[in-house]
Amino acid sequence: MRMSLAQRVLLTWLFTLLFLIMLVLKLDEKAPWNWFLIFIPVWIFDTILLVMLIVKMAGRCKSGYDPRNGSQNIKKKVWYLVAMLLKLAFCLTLCAKLEQFAVVKLAYVFIPLWALLMGGMIELGYNIFYVRRD
Amino acid sequence: MLFSLRELVQWLGFATFEIFLHLLALLAFSVLLVLKVDNADFGLTWWKVFVPFFAADGLSTYFTTIVSVRLFQDGEKRLAVLRLFWILTILSLKFVFEMLLCQKLVEQTRELWYGLIMSPVFILLQLLMIRACRVN
Repeated sequence: MRMSLAQRVLLTWLFTLLFLIMLVLKLDEKAPWNWFLIFIPVWIFDTILLVMLIVKMAGRCKSGYDPRNGSQNIKKKVWYLVAMLLKLAFCLTLCAKLEQFAVVKLAYVFIPLWALLMGGMIELGYNIFYVRRD
Repeated sequence: MLFSLRELVQWLGFATFEIFLHLLALLAFSVLLVLKVDNADFGLTWWKVFVPFFAADGLSTYFTTIVSVRLFQDGEKRLAVLRLFWILTILSLKFVFEMLLCQKLVEQTRELWYGLIMSPVFILLQLLMIRACRVN
């Protein structure tokens, strides 16, 4: 069952709003919480997305699934999975850095984000320049 | 992932190229941020770190103006005005947020609290929610 656009927007909006409120409370020193707690809405949202993605990918293993119409689709799903893991890695290392669990340079924290952004830009660039020429 | 590119373009009102431009700005900003934080002797000010965002806002405004003028010339007057109004609202809210954040990072004043700095983002979120209901 596919969620409607409004439902997906509502889900994204709710978790973004919650995260921003908690972030403001932390930055204004109104809430002396751990950074991992501030990121709770992000963890929940990412878990929901990951579960949805894995369930969709597992759907290919069902009997009666025709793999001929899904070879392009599975590549996309794998890229989405990698993108989610990169985002999760960035958030986790950022929290560890902010909590000073590990003394690492900020450049190492940002490596997953850069990989994610470059992947996203390649996909967008493909949509802008390559697909349009076809 | 959660949204297709077509849905994102419909919802945000930005063209694919504009989304690409803002992603590029985010990438450039993150590189400058790392240079600023990791290498304090690099001589970067916070205003310079935020330059990619300001440039992306400027380019996006220019692009939107051109698209709106073309739409207006083609007789799509209502669409042209609505598009221009929407994009300018979004970009000005984003720009105010960036300016306030940069000001805060430069001066570290107590008067400029993060709730105030984030207020354009909260307004933006409400507007995006309303637009999502209309697009749906």
